[in-house]
Amino acid sequence: MVTPLMLEKWSGKIAVLTIGATREDGGSRAHVIKIGGQQSLPFLFQEGPSPHRPVIAFEVWDVYPQDWQESLQRAYVYSLKDPIVWAKTCVEDYNEQILCLRLQGIHPDYGNKSADTEAEFIKELLKKVDVPLIIIGSGDDVKDNAVLPICCEAARGERCLIGSAVQDNYKTLVASVLADGHNIIAESPIDINIAKQLNILISDMGLSLERIAINPTIGALGYGLEYAYSIMERCRLAALSGDKTLASPFICFVGQEAWRAKESKVNDDRQGIVWEVITATALLQAGADILVMRHPEAISKVNSYIANLFRE
Amino acid sequence: MRKFKVTFYPDNKTVEVEGEKTILSAAISAGIYINAVCGGDGVCGRCKVILKKGKVATQPTRHITAEERKHNVYLACLTEIQDDLEVEIPIESRLNLEGLTQEEVNKRMAKDYSTPEDIQQVEQKVSQGFRYFPLTRKIFLDLPRPTLNDNLSDLERIEREIEREFGITVQHTGLTNIRTLGEILRSSDWKVTVVLGGAGVSPEILFIESGDTSERNFGVVFDIGTTTVTGQLLNLNTRQILGTKATYNKQAAFGSDVITRIIYAKDANGLIELHDAVTEDINEIILRLTDEHKVDLNDITMVVCSGNTTMMHLLLKVDPTHIRREPYVPAFSFTSILRASEVEIRINPRGLLFCVPGIASYLGGDVTAGILSCGIHKQEKLNMLIDIGTNGEIVLGNRDFLVACAASAGPAFEGSGVICGMRASRGAVQKVKISSGDLEPTYQVIGEIKPQGICGSGYIDILAEMLATGIIDRNGRIRQIEHHRIRNGEYGREFVVASNTDTATGSDVVVTDTDIDNLKRAKAAIYAACTILLKHMQLDFSVIEHIFIGGGFGTYLDIENAIRIGLIPDIDRNKFIFVGNSSLSGAREIILSEEAKRQADEIARRVTCLELSVEPGYMEEYMAALFFPHTDLTLFPNVKI
Repeated sequence: MVTPLMLEKWSGKIAVLTIGATREDGGSRAHVIKIGGQQSLPFLFQEGPSPHRPVIAFEVWDVYPQDWQESLQRAYVYSLKDPIVWAKTCVEDYNEQILCLRLQGIHPDYGNKSADTEAEFIKELLKKVDVPLIIIGSGDDVKDNAVLPICCEAARGERCLIGSAVQDNYKTLVASVLADGHNIIAESPIDINIAKQLNILISDMGLSLERIAINPTIGALGYGLEYAYSIMERCRLAALSGDKTLASPFICFVGQEAWRAKESKVNDDRQGIVWEVITATALLQAGADILVMRHPEAISKVNSYIANLFRE
Repeated sequence: MRKFKVTFYPDNKTVEVEGEKTILSAAISAGIYINAVCGGDGVCGRCKVILKKGKVATQPTRHITAEERKHNVYLACLTEIQDDLEVEIPIESRLNLEGLTQEEVNKRMAKDYSTPEDIQQVEQKVSQGFRYFPLTRKIFLDLPRPTLNDNLSDLERIEREIEREFGITVQHTGLTNIRTLGEILRSSDWKVTVVLGGAGVSPEILFIESGDTSERNFGVVFDIGTTTVTGQLLNLNTRQILGTKATYNKQAAFGSDVITRIIYAKDANGLIELHDAVTEDINEIILRLTDEHKVDLNDITMVVCSGNTTMMHLLLKVDPTHIRREPYVPAFSFTSILRASEVEIRINPRGLLFCVPGIASYLGGDVTAGILSCGIHKQEKLNMLIDIGTNGEIVLGNRDFLVACAASAGPAFEGSGVICGMRASRGAVQKVKISSGDLEPTYQVIGEIKPQGICGSGYIDILAEMLATGIIDRNGRIRQIEHHRIRNGEYGREFVVASNTDTATGSDVVVTDTDIDNLKRAKAAIYAACTILLKHMQLDFSVIEHIFIGGGFGTYLDIENAIRIGLIPDIDRNKFIFVGNSSLSGAREIILSEEAKRQADEIARRVTCLELSVEPGYMEEYMAALFFPHTDLTLFPNVKI
């Protein structure tokens, strides 16, 4: 006798987050990206629909990424010197649908670019590429608080995903995201409680839960991947059981973590790619909706993996 | 290892120490005490010193401003000696008060060195009805004079009379009593009062007084808390409470928590200083009480002290070192009844001291006393006791089992570690309402005078009201609202509860972001501990018959508000019984009843101790509780956000 497969029915549903605005929505993007909407754990299609596929965003910097490994830089055929060229390479050569712009250049240690320079740059970039944008700050709270609001304004109407709000510094960013019609990344330090608390705090300010992506903070393979995995899994279980405050899609910064691993730094070119792919595919199983990645080859491998999962 | 000379000014004392030691440890070797409430962990920022000469290596700290750094100010605890040094210790970093003007002393030590004062607290209404039989008893004897036919010795004559009249066999009489016996008996015409002490049917004769003094038998009970020492004077004959006074534990000057004090006890004279500090508090309270109620110190025959394990060690001058080292074993849990004078408590020199037995290193006699006074150990149904102090102690059980744990909550609800905090005494804001329209607060002050500060119940109200009116978000941060009572201060944003023109101190009474953080951590630690204890027993709040809430909250605690901030669970309000200082109540039961003492001994043996630090789910529960009222709102269905 064949034991029938036990199928779980969930009462909750992950919110659908829309990034980018086309001309009809008042923006200038060629298309929009929708993520979320799942009603089951990842890829268990028989249990519930997963209307939107996970997406991969190329990480692009506003300055030359001097600390990136040689092998990583080589992959872009040295287009990294000019951020606009870099972004166009991602979109045109690799046919990428969404970009993640990291404003590293505003950091005091990376050039300390001013808000106005950055706003000009973003306007320019929006003219040169027509994919939806994720924009994240430099990690320096003071500088981010000064620059990000101006950048939000520069990208007004484009419905970007802006980050990152953290528990001790979320009000400024939430206010400008609200004002300029963007979405927000809520970042918590591998902690399900803080993730939930931050979502509540943000929605208490009037930004609806449908406009939040959770950055649960991840570690690469061998560097805490399993912690991130279990936190994401628990978030998903809570969300699918009906907890709306945790029902936001995930954004995972895979590239930054994978290329920080010692294995990616000391060995030949291949190992970093493998590290990025393994980290990314594991996190897809944990429920990642947006993977921010770095190496074009790793991105292409994970893309075909996703395509395979969704093959009819 | 190289040795360096360090000279401290203005003391002009020099010590030689090994390199890599910190300035703080050099100062301690020199016998100079620098204020370091955190015990040298670089957390409190009190141990600032000025380097006059020499080379050091220091760690970065947020406690030193750029301006201070320019002027060679360092934290003594984070700064390693790498050279011969000359160091100046500024006044505000000094612990000893010599050389300060009285005004400076008062200002700085207003908390640590306050005099005992009347406190308000609820007296537990439910007495557990133990059989009245105080631990010391005075009995008047009109002895038959000896004759040639009845020529029993003086001592045996007394013992025979006690046996005959009261059915008590005396076990022991001290030599000092025997030495003076002949004279006392004859000069008082064979009418004497014998003071019997100790438990059981075979007590000892403590002392013998001429005439009938049996009317005057008094005792004092103490709750010795890490932050507050509370004492209560009792008439042991009438069982009447004469007065209650409290003071901040002077040991606070050596560190605000037990760990710091245990570390301090290891220093040269540390143990003695800590012991002296607490006995000084005890003696001051006794003196104040006896003065006020016209009681002769000699008529105080018994003291019962209840407190956490570390406090009991320090009181008895027993080295507490191993309490903080794995596997956390105290030197003692039970002591026999001692002579009060042995630990320098000044009552009748032959008077007795009993310390309520503890359960474990972090569950002291105060918990035993709490269980006793709430009668949890006798009930058929499940009850819980939540004692909100520097260490939040939680007990769960009934007559079949008792399990308890301690959560380090910090002293915020005792009015310590919060800017305008104070005990529930005269001048404390204890009840607050904030109008939802104009955000103006109205408050009630103990003693109906101008406010001086805020006590625990006041803070609970303020937090709940600030949440309800949206002044703070659910994380506890004060929102950017344009309002004359909301402003930026030294400790983040602050809300002015009473402005300086309305206060007794002439400065504003405020609640700051930092205060709210401390209170939030305290309430999270307590709520998480309750949850873990229940989970451990695979139970939940619904099965509990009563939750006893203890703590130094004055006469008033708004249960609804305590639920709204997530300090206690959202269950049927009628299940909560506010018991005030249950440790003191337990000590009182014991001093008045030998039966209660026996049960206290039994309770201390019975309680199972749950160690939260090795409980895997605790940190998770704690993080979840660090939100108002809780991250999981389904646990607080009746709280409206």
